[in-house]
Amino acid sequence: MIGSPDVVAFTKEDEYGQTSPDPWALPEEFSIPLHPLADSNPWAKTSYAKFTKDFILISEFSEQVGPQPLLTIPDDPKVCGTFDLNYFSLRIMSVDYQASFVGHPPGSGYPRLSFVEDSRVVLGDSKEGAFAYVHHLTLYDLEARGFVRPFCMAYVSADERKIMLQFQELSLRFSQASECLKAGNRRAFAKELQRKLRDLEYTHSVLQREEGLQREAGPQCMYSAHAVEKANELANVEKSIYEHRDLLRQISSYHCRPRRDPHAVTCQKCMTECLSECEALLDKYAKLANPFSYTDKGGKGEEGQVNVEGGEEEVEEDVKRRPSYTPQLIKAKSAKCFDKRLKTLQELCDQTFYGATVELLKETERSFRGDLCYLHTRRLDKTLRRRQRVTNFLFEEDLGDDDEDEGGTLRPFCAVNHAVDNYTLLNPPPIVLGPEPLELDSLEPPDPLDPASETSHTQESELGLGESHLESSPSDQTLETQESSEETKGSFSSDKSGMGPAQKHESLASVRSEPPDPDSDLTLDPDHNADLERESSSEETTAGEDEGDQTPVSLLEVVSELEASREDDCERGSDGACEMESDLLVPIDTACCMAQEGFLYEASAPEADLHLGQSSHHQPSHTLVVNQEPQALLPLQDDYTVGSPCSESPAAGLELPVGLLGDAVSHTSVEDGSDCTMSASTGSDRAASPLGYGGVVTLRQRKKAGQGALRFVRQYPFAIQALWCLLSGRTLVVLGADEGRVRRLVAALALFVPGPGKCGERVQAWLSCPFTLTDLQRWKLVGLQRVASPVGSSMLYSLSRYSRYISILDADQKTLRCPPYRGQLLANVADHRTYIRRGSTYFLHVQSTLCRMAAKAFLFTFTHHLHLPVSSAEGPEVVEGRRRCFLQEQLGLGEEDSQILLYLSQLVTQQYLQPATGGSAAAAPCFSFNYTTSVLYKI
Amino acid sequence: MSSGCPPQSPAVAKSEVAVEGECPLLAATFAYWDNILGPRVRHIWAPKGDQSMFLSDGEVTFLANHTLNGEILRSAECGAVDVKFFVLAEKGVIIVSLIFDGELKGDKNTCALSIILPQTELAFYLPLHTICVERLKHVIRKGRIWMQKGYNIISVLSLEIVPIMELLASMKTHSVPEDIDIKDTVLNDDDIGDSCHEDFLHKAISSHLQTCGCSIVVGSNPEKVNKIVRTLCLFLTSAERKCSRLCKADSSFKYDTGLFVQGLLKDSTGSFVLPFRQVLYSPYPTTHIDVDINTVKQMPPCHEHTYNQRRYMRSELSTLWKTDSEEDIPPDTVIHTDETFTPDLNIFQDVMHKDTLVKSFIDEVFMLKPGLSLRSTYLAQFLLLLHRKALTLLKYIEDETQKGQKPFRSLRNLKSDLDLTVEGDLNIVMAFAEKLRAGLHSFVFGKPFYTSMQERDVLMSF
Repeated sequence: MIGSPDVVAFTKEDEYGQTSPDPWALPEEFSIPLHPLADSNPWAKTSYAKFTKDFILISEFSEQVGPQPLLTIPDDPKVCGTFDLNYFSLRIMSVDYQASFVGHPPGSGYPRLSFVEDSRVVLGDSKEGAFAYVHHLTLYDLEARGFVRPFCMAYVSADERKIMLQFQELSLRFSQASECLKAGNRRAFAKELQRKLRDLEYTHSVLQREEGLQREAGPQCMYSAHAVEKANELANVEKSIYEHRDLLRQISSYHCRPRRDPHAVTCQKCMTECLSECEALLDKYAKLANPFSYTDKGGKGEEGQVNVEGGEEEVEEDVKRRPSYTPQLIKAKSAKCFDKRLKTLQELCDQTFYGATVELLKETERSFRGDLCYLHTRRLDKTLRRRQRVTNFLFEEDLGDDDEDEGGTLRPFCAVNHAVDNYTLLNPPPIVLGPEPLELDSLEPPDPLDPASETSHTQESELGLGESHLESSPSDQTLETQESSEETKGSFSSDKSGMGPAQKHESLASVRSEPPDPDSDLTLDPDHNADLERESSSEETTAGEDEGDQTPVSLLEVVSELEASREDDCERGSDGACEMESDLLVPIDTACCMAQEGFLYEASAPEADLHLGQSSHHQPSHTLVVNQEPQALLPLQDDYTVGSPCSESPAAGLELPVGLLGDAVSHTSVEDGSDCTMSASTGSDRAASPLGYGGVVTLRQRKKAGQGALRFVRQYPFAIQALWCLLSGRTLVVLGADEGRVRRLVAALALFVPGPGKCGERVQAWLSCPFTLTDLQRWKLVGLQRVASPVGSSMLYSLSRYSRYISILDADQKTLRCPPYRGQLLANVADHRTYIRRGSTYFLHVQSTLCRMAAKAFLFTFTHHLHLPVSSAEGPEVVEGRRRCFLQEQLGLGEEDSQILLYLSQLVTQQYLQPATGGSAAAAPCFSFNYTTSVLYKI
Repeated sequence: MSSGCPPQSPAVAKSEVAVEGECPLLAATFAYWDNILGPRVRHIWAPKGDQSMFLSDGEVTFLANHTLNGEILRSAECGAVDVKFFVLAEKGVIIVSLIFDGELKGDKNTCALSIILPQTELAFYLPLHTICVERLKHVIRKGRIWMQKGYNIISVLSLEIVPIMELLASMKTHSVPEDIDIKDTVLNDDDIGDSCHEDFLHKAISSHLQTCGCSIVVGSNPEKVNKIVRTLCLFLTSAERKCSRLCKADSSFKYDTGLFVQGLLKDSTGSFVLPFRQVLYSPYPTTHIDVDINTVKQMPPCHEHTYNQRRYMRSELSTLWKTDSEEDIPPDTVIHTDETFTPDLNIFQDVMHKDTLVKSFIDEVFMLKPGLSLRSTYLAQFLLLLHRKALTLLKYIEDETQKGQKPFRSLRNLKSDLDLTVEGDLNIVMAFAEKLRAGLHSFVFGKPFYTSMQERDVLMSF
């Protein structure tokens, strides 16, 4: 038998053997490692890069100094670390991928501009651990060799896979930025040509005058050498004028060229604007009767001609422009290549477009931040959630109206705020791991109190002012800090340094033929992927579109004070619909749910059908089922419902504050004198997410909620009971004297409120007055202030009065009064011995668990045979028995767990039947309770 | 594409490859950096067919030269293969270049193996990029050995260039559509067991998910095979579906390494011979499903699969290194062994671990009425759950190990905390997580496995 010492001995011998290598052994450089780094640490593959996170690098191949970095986004030296930008610029700019002819083509008298398409390259430096998507483009510069200046914009990452997996999206984003930059460059180039032509004309006139004087001064038949020189100079200037006019013509014809790049994205409005501007200039110079008759007064004549087409605006524009430029005499010999100063990128590009490009790139950088696996999962998550809209309202964030992004395709938009329709994607990529789509919703102002937005400067400026998208660009400051040489940049910056945003705006407006339409402002969603940054938890909190907790089968309903309004509501609807609604809910919903073909994917059709109250266009099958089922299940409801089945009673007093301040607004119920003035404190998480708990929840809020929930679960052994209350639809009141603590608890527990509403309407974070029955109808989670005053005693009275309907979590005493829970469904999510360390991880775990519950609720709701009698002889109790049996035997749920499913199913049903009411518009008119004795839990 | 091309070098050799069907590849090239002349193209492979559809040799040469431009600055480690990906709109082409160093005529040279496609095929090609690159990388490893020995690399490179042309051509006609209609799958059956036995379906899907969505479906009836292929593809992402292939009705495709799901037709004798090497080189372990006899077998989990794969690759390269004649390129069908390594040829084993996730899904989904979108929705919910569980698991391990800085020692806690106590469930979620974070299996389960393998190898060597 061989023991381990023997093995060691043999292995030792092998090791010694390695000292004299086998000539036939494969050298390591030709082999592959048996245990690569990823095996010992899957997170390590990006660790040897010298930069800390991804960034965007703009480089230029300067004709004077060669490849050089110009700008990084973000403009923070820490990001690049010790990474050698100069070397990397050299690497990515070392090839002219657009190799194409520039200069004078054979047989052509004039220099030609080359209209080359952009190139996209992914390359890497495996030794440095740096990989890049590089977008090559050329800009025009009258002073440059061949009139072109090669630039590139590179997205640099340590993860090669991240770049390749998101290639199409990167390509699309950078194409947009490139087109924007090029559009601005063409505009600037045309202006430069204009100035040059003026200079030339002025020079020409001066030379002509001098030549005339010389001719007059000298003898008639003799030409002095000086005169000949002048004549030659004049001829050269004339030639130059023709050449420059031809260049102007060429740049005007830019849009006419056939595009060879099927992935180019262009904004038609930008194109048109640039084009019209160029054409105006072209017209101006082409139509001059005598281009070589420039006089000091000649400008007026020009103006007149131009204004024929341009109208008054053009006149004003010209008047504004005219004083800004005085024609200069051009020397016969131009400066040598290395004497001249090359224009900076800003100077090469119209300022508006430059600013927009930088903003676009900043947004691009933001949207690609983070680890690939989280980005990837987030997108998959979104794609999958689009396919289950009927249950998303329960626990998922609002997806918005971005159906057009179904395929994950990034919606093209114009960086200069033109309407989205103007954009043409020549060949839209069929698959893109799309980022968060750009939503108009995102234009709503962000939470001013949210400290989480690390990019808040830009975002806020984008959001805060409708017209400030461009003006708020910090691009100038960014560029000022660049290391690139020249005093030229400094002077450029200093020119602008004293210019306030308003001034900038004016100056921009003065050079633009048409200012951007603020109404069509389609700025980027500022929060749109900001959450991704450095965040490993990818996920969203709960959100919903609708709520309502009516008619849980196992629960009794209380007749609410809304009978009257219900009747009103019914009267408003069509008779048939009212009848249907008032008759029964459960049967209708199950029947409807089953009867509709393509109920989810054919969004419009089912919606039409689902408006039971309004629509008379029911499909025959639908009508058939609806007509049958209510009768069949009528007793079922009689058994269990007492309350108002008419779910939509938008009485004034019930309307929820859904304004920007969410729960923090003051609210007065006109009914029953329940003037509940909510605390206007803004310290809560909820108050800090004015756009809704699910809609635009910041990273910090999500983390906080997850952390809070984990802390709650760990601290309170009876957490599981509290979660069960929330998930089964029983209102939970968190009572405490310390507002901060109560708010934190509410924020944490809000994760578990099914269908919290788009703006979290079902959660009241802080209430400092007694609540009423009406309040309990709409809030499923309430933070209640404990006060030692007459108000406090009335609050306690209200608590005790409604105690059979609610559960009370006392944050001060650390007690919970609620019915007991003995189920298993929540055991895993509320285990106080959990080893989950972080709130974000716990949040993901909660999300998975809730997702599973939502799926089960969906299954239960739409499993048709459970809700329908198999034969006419079958009574409702048989159907009910079948439902119970399904819950217990098929899904393996006990009594309490079944209540959760029933409640969720109830909400799904209601959401399905009345999707249009939305979470914010509707408040459930009734609430439920049962007579199970409450138990007091203590730590 | 015709302007500005330099004259073609007379030394460029060309192979025309006959490919069945429409091959989207314009050409493949092997170029190197000549220390005197700069970038030079050595060999061009082009699909045989209508020449007007393809690039001229001069254009190919021009493009191939471009791929090496700038590589004079290359400072990669010896043996590294770097990938460059070009989309040159001016030329209307995509070029994928693998840059490596190799010995030519006694000099170290920078070389490039490139494939060129029309730019219009970008969306088609991108999902297949990783497959092509990984396969080309391995053939380059072999080619470098061949170059080191002073042999002609072209014959070695041809071993993979031609199959890649065939793969792309086959994907052009038989790739699984991005959007699969659930009506074309088993999940549309009125009741479970209508198309196939309940337990078979459960086992197939469960194993398919446990092997990271990588499966081969073999059978005699192409319709039946394709129905299962489509069913399995329902559980993949759209990008993964684009890397999946239906079976051909009349004859079978060859097995292709790297595809997620592929349908393969048995021959007239009722058998399909799987190439051991190619199956082992698949990036993920594979599930083998035979729809004729309703059997499901699976390869060992990721960490074992990767280990076996690397051992075999090393063995193959070693064998090549020992070859002493240019004519003796070992064919792919040869099973490589050496004194310390004998591959286990019985790579497909029974599915050992039962799960509850797929089981309950299969049981429940058939309760929903077919023909509506109910089942699709429920499927989406199921997939969402799996993706979220995978992300949670990943994050859990990340927290526990401080992003891999510390070894992971709390598998038991993970199982109980995340409700993954059933082995099959854990395997499924781990497989999803592996796709998100390559190497996770090795990190979590690798150490004891490697130790045991090393001990076994040591014992075997006596």
